[in-house]
Amino acid sequence: MDYLILGLSVFLVFCLLFESYMELPAWVSWLGRWHPLVLHFPIVLLLIAIFLGLTGKNVPKRLLIVAVVSALITAISGFFLGKDTLVKGDLLVWHQWLGGALALLSALWYAFVNIFPSQIRYHKGIQVVLIGLIGFTGHYGGMVTHGADFLAFPQSKKQGKIPENPNIYSDVVMRILDNTCVSCHNPNKQKGELLLTSLDQLFKGGEHGPAVVPGDLENSFLVRRVRLPKEDEDHMPPEGKTPLSELEINILERWIALGAPDSVRLDQLEPSEPLVGLIQEMRMPDPEEKWRSFATIVDSTLQNLSSDYLTIERMAANSNALSVDVYAPPTYDPKPITDLKRVANNLVELDVSGLPLGSAEMATIASCSNLEWLEIDGTPLKDAELRSLTNLQNLTLLKVYQTGITDRSVEVFKQLPKLSKLYVWDTNISEAALEALQKERSALQVYKGIDPKIKSFFVAADSTDTNSLQ
Amino acid sequence: MEEHKNENPLKVNRRHFFSQLSVGIGSLALGSLLIPDLFKNGSKELAQQPLGIPHFAPKAKRVIYLFQAGAPSQLETFDYKPMLRKRMGEDLPESIRNGQRLTGMTANQEKFPLMPPAVNFKQHGQSGTWISDFFPYTAKIADEITVIRSMHTEAINHDPAITFFQTGSQISGRPSMGSWMSYGLGSENKNLPSFVVLTSRGDGNSQGLYSKLWSSGFLDSKHQGVLLRSGKDPVLYLNDPEGISRSEKRDLLNEVSALNKLHHVETGDDEIESRIAQYEMAYRMQMSVPDVMDISKEPKSIIDLYGEDCQVPGTYAANALQARRLAENGVRFIQLYHQGWDQHGNLPNEMAGQAKDVDQASAALVLDLKQRGMLEDTLVIWGGEFGRGNYCQGKFDPANYGRDHHPRAFSIWMAGGGIKQGLNYGQTDEFGYNVIENPVHINDFHATLMYALGLDHEQLTYKYQGRRFRLTDVAGNVIKDLIA
Repeated sequence: MDYLILGLSVFLVFCLLFESYMELPAWVSWLGRWHPLVLHFPIVLLLIAIFLGLTGKNVPKRLLIVAVVSALITAISGFFLGKDTLVKGDLLVWHQWLGGALALLSALWYAFVNIFPSQIRYHKGIQVVLIGLIGFTGHYGGMVTHGADFLAFPQSKKQGKIPENPNIYSDVVMRILDNTCVSCHNPNKQKGELLLTSLDQLFKGGEHGPAVVPGDLENSFLVRRVRLPKEDEDHMPPEGKTPLSELEINILERWIALGAPDSVRLDQLEPSEPLVGLIQEMRMPDPEEKWRSFATIVDSTLQNLSSDYLTIERMAANSNALSVDVYAPPTYDPKPITDLKRVANNLVELDVSGLPLGSAEMATIASCSNLEWLEIDGTPLKDAELRSLTNLQNLTLLKVYQTGITDRSVEVFKQLPKLSKLYVWDTNISEAALEALQKERSALQVYKGIDPKIKSFFVAADSTDTNSLQ
Repeated sequence: MEEHKNENPLKVNRRHFFSQLSVGIGSLALGSLLIPDLFKNGSKELAQQPLGIPHFAPKAKRVIYLFQAGAPSQLETFDYKPMLRKRMGEDLPESIRNGQRLTGMTANQEKFPLMPPAVNFKQHGQSGTWISDFFPYTAKIADEITVIRSMHTEAINHDPAITFFQTGSQISGRPSMGSWMSYGLGSENKNLPSFVVLTSRGDGNSQGLYSKLWSSGFLDSKHQGVLLRSGKDPVLYLNDPEGISRSEKRDLLNEVSALNKLHHVETGDDEIESRIAQYEMAYRMQMSVPDVMDISKEPKSIIDLYGEDCQVPGTYAANALQARRLAENGVRFIQLYHQGWDQHGNLPNEMAGQAKDVDQASAALVLDLKQRGMLEDTLVIWGGEFGRGNYCQGKFDPANYGRDHHPRAFSIWMAGGGIKQGLNYGQTDEFGYNVIENPVHINDFHATLMYALGLDHEQLTYKYQGRRFRLTDVAGNVIKDLIA
């Protein structure tokens, strides 16, 4: 037994010292693959032995022998596995030397037990150092396989927004690769000898060939591998990891098809270029995101508030954002609308068009501060009632056509910062006031009814048609 | 809201109860340990979600489908193929036909001489969309609509083709897409059916329309499309007989409902509950339907917009105006059919007439919806069940020819409801025969339609006869390029 331990130790030292001169046959590399399996034995066995030693118990000799032998085998197999990697990153180098030291120190402990069985203090010293080595070696090993930030405190994986006019490569493509691919293809863990951290590395590729060939999807291994059917063993990312979305793959493909440029920005692309739409889709925030913070509304509340003439719905399944449609009942009563106060902060869409609304209902509506969409067209509302709408700072769409409002209400519209669509035809608002509004708020779309030119075509052509029939 | 139906109409029996009890309690306990959110709202399992709510925030809330029954020719509407004029009379090359099966009407023709379009085409709007001169009004809304020129289907005869379009299957019996939307999204206005059908007929060669096209199939019968007739009684037998007051009607309904509830307790048949609900809705519809159908309050400007015809009940124009009013009143799915588009002969004349029936009112509807801000959340679709061949049917006479059915390529347009504006999507070859770019299959079309309405076409299912059915069956991809 002693000779086995000595032999393995010498072999390990030899390996570590003459690493660069060695060329391993394939079957030896294969032995290296067992490293992740074997490594758990020495960790457990050594820790048990150390625990016994530190607590003053007798360490059974057999246990120590098995522990030391397994530590040496693990270190050697780890060396074989490391040899398989072409370029060793910092993490792997640290892991290798710490692991080697750990195995050799445990062998030294065994020698000490045999030569100086009574020097308990030295034994304990070695044992404490071993604990440290086990911890660090394991930690570095873990970082090599799972990524350096695997043990980092869980934080929301949310990356910043994609900027308004992103650089296609650095802001979009790299973001996709960072999210999905880089955890296995980084300097510390180059699966398939492939690095996906810079453009040069993408062009250079890995053992199968270049990951990206500008303008050539056929020969770009990156997209070939992600496009493989999920059942295929070569599909990337491998089973168990989050696959790329269709949108992400489309963006990668389109970017490669365009020649994989590294400095092109979104606004330099033709508007008809499909990549523009794809990136815009990626930039689009999840519409439901902004409603996440809303208070929970239970179904029974919705049932209580709804009636045959008032429909209240969730904007989407599991969403607490609400949409309300009210229809004219045979006898009108404002109460169902004023009752909505209970869910005022959850209302994002409200359609009360065509109803004989009064100031009580408007007060309720004005309290719905999260309202984004409001239809109050065809109502008897006047400027006075509309004034309270300035509370609706989240309003994006407002329908007030076919009402008696005048230029005074234009001031209200100006105070709605997010308003992007306004439907105002058939009111008492003057053309001049609307023009002034349009000038002040260029992004606001003001709908003033059907374009008179088109309208006259419809009317005129109608009469000519009748003429031609006669 | 309704849950997925238990297959057993009696819901549960003794054996079922006991056998499930032990397993059930154990798995409940285990489940709550393993999945802490199991009993909280927020489970991501869509199939378990209550119905009547979109799966995700929708772009569109309702659909107006202007179905051109009989299949208008793409070559005389939106798919401009000048090459056909150059090669007029030449035989359709086999490399293009490529074994395509033909209907019995032309399969025995010795020659398939190419026939150019009967009308001129022009590009319109900033989008430069090619639109034939048959459609001068639609040309005015070129920048509002998205033309898909790469639709294709598998059916070559009207009935299977229209059934495929309506139900996602060529064999009848499945629920209509309007029924699926009603099932998935629920009703927006409880006083009207969520799926309404209006029909009209042009002078052109017509094919039949059957109520199976708006049937709810295996879904609850409350999702069935309701055909509104033109004229005095839009819904038959809706009005009370003379001498019966509304309060008497109410009393009658209360008694009938009580009896029905007794019967429901006895048998557990869910159709009884549907029936009770439908009696109640019919009672409310007595008030709501006449109001919605009464277009006399529409101002002259609107009448002018849709054309004089819209005052004549039963015309396409009247139905289009009606469709807007129904959409305003929260009907989820409004399906118009205009018959008469089956031009096997006399195509130039018949199509001119058919186009005249629908052109102004279709364009007017889009403009009217737009000025009301309703294009924001209403999806308008115009199109037929398949396309028409590029070769002449019958005697070769450019002034009076026909076109046979053609499944491999046809054109439709869409507007509003979160669909891109002014886009020309997909392309056919120079012969207008095969799709060469961005094909859109009926299943893809359904998937995209559902996506716009906030529904995941793979998640909206109904279990029937041991299998989960969906509108797109086992196929369909959302065409994201079409989504704004």
